[in-house]
Amino acid sequence: MLEIRWHSRAGQGAVTGAKGLADVISTTGKHVQAFAFYGSAKRGAAMTAYNRVADEVIMNHEKYMKPDYVFVIDPALAITTDVTINHKDTTKYIITTHLSTEELVKAQPKLEGKEVYTVDCITIAVETIGRPIPNTPMLGAFMKISGMYDIEFFKENMKRVLAKLPQKIVDANMIAIQRAYDEVK
Amino acid sequence: MANTGWDEFEIGAMLRSFDGKIDDIAGTLQEDRAYSPNNSFVASVADWRIEKPVFNKDYCIDCQFCWIYCPDISIIARDKKMIGIDMDHCKGCGICVEVCPTNPKSLLMFPEQAEEEAELANWPAKDEEK
Amino acid sequence: MAFDKMELRDVEVWDGNHAAAQALRQCQVDVVAAYPITPSTPIVEGYAKFQSDNFIEGEYVMVESEHAAMSACIGAAAAGGRVATATSSQGFALMVETLYQSSGMRLPIVLNVVNRALAAPLNVNGDHSDMYLGRDSGWIQFDAYCPQDAYDLNFIAFKVSEDHDVRLPSMVHQDGFMTSHTAQGVTTMDDDKAYSFVGEYKPMNDMLDFEHPVTHGVQTEEDWHFEHKARQHNDLMTKVSPKIDAVFEAFEKHTGRKYSQVETYDMEDADVAVFCLGTSVETTREVAREMRTKGIKAGVVALRVIRPFPFAKIQEAFKNVKAIAVLDRSAPGGAPGAMFNEICAAMYAAENSPLISGYIYGLGGRDLTKAHLVDLYNELEANVKAGKVTTQLQQFIGVRGPKLAYL
Repeated sequence: MLEIRWHSRAGQGAVTGAKGLADVISTTGKHVQAFAFYGSAKRGAAMTAYNRVADEVIMNHEKYMKPDYVFVIDPALAITTDVTINHKDTTKYIITTHLSTEELVKAQPKLEGKEVYTVDCITIAVETIGRPIPNTPMLGAFMKISGMYDIEFFKENMKRVLAKLPQKIVDANMIAIQRAYDEVK
Repeated sequence: MANTGWDEFEIGAMLRSFDGKIDDIAGTLQEDRAYSPNNSFVASVADWRIEKPVFNKDYCIDCQFCWIYCPDISIIARDKKMIGIDMDHCKGCGICVEVCPTNPKSLLMFPEQAEEEAELANWPAKDEEK
Repeated sequence: MAFDKMELRDVEVWDGNHAAAQALRQCQVDVVAAYPITPSTPIVEGYAKFQSDNFIEGEYVMVESEHAAMSACIGAAAAGGRVATATSSQGFALMVETLYQSSGMRLPIVLNVVNRALAAPLNVNGDHSDMYLGRDSGWIQFDAYCPQDAYDLNFIAFKVSEDHDVRLPSMVHQDGFMTSHTAQGVTTMDDDKAYSFVGEYKPMNDMLDFEHPVTHGVQTEEDWHFEHKARQHNDLMTKVSPKIDAVFEAFEKHTGRKYSQVETYDMEDADVAVFCLGTSVETTREVAREMRTKGIKAGVVALRVIRPFPFAKIQEAFKNVKAIAVLDRSAPGGAPGAMFNEICAAMYAAENSPLISGYIYGLGGRDLTKAHLVDLYNELEANVKAGKVTTQLQQFIGVRGPKLAYL
């Protein structure tokens, strides 16, 4: 069982990102689950989304999770909230920030001693897609860190997931995914 | 209709208007229609009446007001002409008399036991003050 | 007017809402009248989008309240259409008056209820308060534990409800957010295969049959009302259950996926069993398996069909078990939990007399964790060893503050 927790703001696309990731993984025959914690949240409110991946049918519906990966797609949340809650010794963090990993750990001491990777998904999204929607670049970074799939395979599948969007936006997302894959450290 | 047991009627809060299939019901006169026993057409309310309406065709202008207002569809009209009252379904409410616009009225209420011919012979005259 | 077919992959990653919306599309529902409410909104939104994109030959009717939504559904069903809608929580509560109308009028509407807590305090998350509110409404109630169930049970619901021996409406329940907004793999049917399971709608006493005019929604007083209600109850008690079994069997032949009115897991030799509904069933199954590795013979029993209540099948499921925990995800309002009462009633009339304890959990979407369930099975095992219920009969799980226990 692989478990992922997303930290996001409502409107940044964490739910879409989690569902898109689940969709891609599902095509390889694995079982997936993607869900989120909702309130009657306004855009901008902090929220979390979740992925589970397993070789067997996933029956666990508890919301409690000790994640293998934590994705933080909003730069402020790594500072203002505790993204390390319910962590394991092996939990890996991929965090959106303009800071370097060292600067970020200095700004958020809770990340001290953790396996932290950083990538500026917001800037990448703005420069490629034209809007600060950092969900797809985060998945590009995840492909690099996890080595889960070949990036070309992943992008091909994401094209299908995003097929409802205009071609220009799909193309921009592909560039964003590739850039995050290349830039995550 | 008979008070049958719980297992003896069609399901749903539903009643049929006619027995079997109907065809051109709008072109079929009421008395010729195959109403089902559930249809209120077969239930007479004649015994509800204390007073009954009497129709005087001499004054009727066929305005159809009584036909429109009768709550029990008991005004019989043919080719837009008022021809009488369905005394099986008239409950004696008097609304037809209230809405009748002629002077004197073409419909008036009389005790149920009144003789129609006698009342027609003594029909009130035109009210000159109106 | 022709409509387009949709290409689906064998396994799609859908949440429960989308799964239900796709099922409504594939059943070619004629009319959906709806007043959207969280968390069920995407079901009717989905139908409306499919309809406007020409994937459905049908009508989406916007109305001003849930009461009006079900009222319009009643009109459309009485007129002779295949009809469905969806709601949750406060919307369901507002719909209650018309729920009794639709079942009493024997109209085979399918209502997707995405279970959500009832205010106050206002809460959009999943518990079973609204589902329990439908218990006495004369509807058939199916319970989904995951998006796959939410998809499948819609086809099953239409097939059962529309049968001329049944003609009773069905609710398909799924847990708000935990199923409705949780995307998982759903094994799909292609459009032709899906539609062939429900088949063309066969009207009965429809108002649009001008050669056989009918009056729907008649008034009865003490001279007829009791007979109508008795008839409805009789049909729920005697006709619906065998029909559901037959439709479950047909569905298994059609898809390979098997459903039972009472779902049992690891019950062959179980000493202790947890009874629950909704997503909790699956989490509990996982915990039961883990308990077996620790030497506790744990099993799970759940209802797939809440109404009509499968009394005899419950007795059968629990015939060898020694202790049962009955979980109710609805505020009991000054009484034992409703399912606790029903399981107790069934087992009171059974040959086996297991120890039964009740638990209130998960209100307003509060998480039921695997750790809770481990404690629960250990408590049941302690009851078995002591030969009696060692706790009070009603306990609360997962609530903050001093322990709550009654009775």
